[in-house]
Amino acid sequence: MSDDLSELHDELRSVARDLLARSGSGTAVAHGTAPASADWGLLARSGWTGLEVPDALAGSGATFAEVGVILEEMGRAATVSPYLGTVVLAAGALGLVGTSPLRDDLLQGIAAGELVVAVALADGALDHVDAVPPFRLEAGPEGPRVHGRADFVPDAADASDLLLVAKGLDGDPVLVHVPISTPGLDVVDQPVVDATRRLAAVSAVGVVPGEGAVLAFAGDPAHAAARLFDRAALAVACDSLGLARAMLDATVAYVAQRRQFDRAIGSFQAVKHACADMLVGITVVEELVRAATEAFVADTPGAAVAVSMAKARSSEVAVEVAGAAMQLHGGIGYTWEGGIHVHLKRAALDRSLFGSPTAHRRRVAAPHLARAGAAPG
Amino acid sequence: MTGGGTTDLDPFRASVRDWCREHVPRTWRAAQTGVGDDEFVAFQQEWFAELRRAGWAVPHWPAEWGGGMTTAEQVVLYQELAAADAPRLVLAFVSIHHAASTLLAAGTDEQRRRHLPAILDGEIWCQGFSEPEAGSDLAALRATARREGDAYVVNGQKVWASGALHSDWCLLLVRTDPEAPKRKGISYLLMDMRSPGLDVRPITQATGEAHFCEIFMDDVVVPVANLVGVENAGWAVAQQTLGAERGMTMLELSERLGNAGFTWLVDACRAPRRDGQRPIDDPVVQDRLAALEIEVTALRGLCRDVVERHETGTVGPADASIVKLYYSEVLQRLMDFGAEVGGLPVHTVLQKPISSGWESGAWVLDFISSWEWTIPGGSSEIQRSIIGERGLGLPREPVAGS
Repeated sequence: MSDDLSELHDELRSVARDLLARSGSGTAVAHGTAPASADWGLLARSGWTGLEVPDALAGSGATFAEVGVILEEMGRAATVSPYLGTVVLAAGALGLVGTSPLRDDLLQGIAAGELVVAVALADGALDHVDAVPPFRLEAGPEGPRVHGRADFVPDAADASDLLLVAKGLDGDPVLVHVPISTPGLDVVDQPVVDATRRLAAVSAVGVVPGEGAVLAFAGDPAHAAARLFDRAALAVACDSLGLARAMLDATVAYVAQRRQFDRAIGSFQAVKHACADMLVGITVVEELVRAATEAFVADTPGAAVAVSMAKARSSEVAVEVAGAAMQLHGGIGYTWEGGIHVHLKRAALDRSLFGSPTAHRRRVAAPHLARAGAAPG
Repeated sequence: MTGGGTTDLDPFRASVRDWCREHVPRTWRAAQTGVGDDEFVAFQQEWFAELRRAGWAVPHWPAEWGGGMTTAEQVVLYQELAAADAPRLVLAFVSIHHAASTLLAAGTDEQRRRHLPAILDGEIWCQGFSEPEAGSDLAALRATARREGDAYVVNGQKVWASGALHSDWCLLLVRTDPEAPKRKGISYLLMDMRSPGLDVRPITQATGEAHFCEIFMDDVVVPVANLVGVENAGWAVAQQTLGAERGMTMLELSERLGNAGFTWLVDACRAPRRDGQRPIDDPVVQDRLAALEIEVTALRGLCRDVVERHETGTVGPADASIVKLYYSEVLQRLMDFGAEVGGLPVHTVLQKPISSGWESGAWVLDFISSWEWTIPGGSSEIQRSIIGERGLGLPREPVAGS
């Protein structure tokens, strides 16, 4: 990464941290109360909703590298927002299809903060990392119909529009745009222990796509669909990294001031070493996430494996770090009011979202298996 | 040793098993999910009375007070209750263990006569030990008791008192000599929870439940007759009380983890996903499941062994800490794996039954509540220090209060 870009990211990060902290989400709210969503209009005015939207469509033509910075900060603040569904996945998916009036309208709407869109790209009830389209187009006498189901679709319950990844009539994956009120489309909220995420089950039974609503991926459709899944997995890796950093910061601040046995508990080796382990874990994940982001943005042949490395380790480290944070905060860490649980629950959800660590490690190992047939030298 | 080797226990085992078949409510877990406090208390009192009718509510008490079961029989009893997935005595836990062992070890005859039969009739106790600034460093407690004639006047704040909202009495540690070194100025009192000047507030936990409470004491009058042991010698009494929660109760919990807890983990691994794939078909899952089975099996064996060592007086100075640390961490690893292997679907389980142990099949919440074991009652960090110092004789950390 160039120094200029690095500086730009630092600045973006600092603005994002400040703004998200002020937007109020992520802080513990009374039990039984839904945590507040970040101010969507404010995010749009800050230019975050159009980061990856082309300049010509009122976006800023940036890349996932910049979006990743926002995602890390949203993880830090445990932000409640449809950013993942709308900006990361929907704008990202639309960036993979050929240009069309519908596509351009949607991108413009997203950039302007006027649309909340979700993408049903994987069935979260399964643990697939190979981008199997959860929907399919079926030919019929009155034209193609969409069938299928995807559970745990981020932000679908809040969206006005859905993008369904479907197996097209020729077998290649396509993107189907469906307004939320379309007959045959059913979106059911799936509340989870982590109250900062909004997930929903999306099912389609004989949904008739509108005129021009079936969007073909540009270039190799299978590769595009795979890239969309990698984008989702990498987004979660960024979120996990950010929340782990927040937990380390909170823990270091706490153990430096909490006194037991007439000294700050951070002066005990058991506590100090646990904090050191948190930092080592996070530092390693930072490397993996940076490498994956660079590979993903450049679309290198090794990008998928790099993303899997980042997702597997980041989401595991986040659970470990948030767990250690709860432990080192002692009793206060176990209270609702203390708020550590917000990050621990989000970390546990992140771990299972868009591929478990085990599934991603399998993808890391796959090239070795494929090569095993060829005898060395 | 599973108990099956000792043939003369077989009839007892069979009778417990038969009794369980008849008396354990089949659907208690569903019935205890999402219920309010009143239903929880009523259910607990009912189950306690049921066990009492069978003669098994307080098997560990001396015969003269209504117990008298041999250690070997108690092991069988808890094994069978766990195997039948019986409800757990959550509400009466402090009463039948801490309160009873304190009264038996250090109480006056009058205190015993006043409270032990009452506990059998459903008197509920809580423990007022921890304070906001005295957690791991319990001896740093600040709540005070000032002697005024025949009474102490108590002021201060306690925290993490499980079930305090439903309690009749409280085991209370207070500072009676502010000038003395930390552990030398503490007294042990029995405090009536209906006393004027008490304010009990539930604490919402990370899981959303609220079993623990804060107790605020503002000039609460406790008669001197309710002092346990000698004034300013309460620390030693408290050590006996804390010790009482090891041994058999850890055996009960490890049996529950090994029965319902592990069974559900296997079920979670065997449950087919929508595509027909089962987690257990993955060799990685098989490996991790087997690793946990080894740990749980070892834990159960260890708990049985430590119970026997208590019996024969050969318990080691760090045995209780080893058991507590190992149970806590195996519990946490098992719940962590359950939450992971269950994938996103298990995140939709938003409530778990009360009246259970720390295993409920609500994996994500069970994972969160496993910190209820690694933090309180001497955190895992404290347990490791105890194991190193008392168990291995390593030099003590440079500071630490005396």
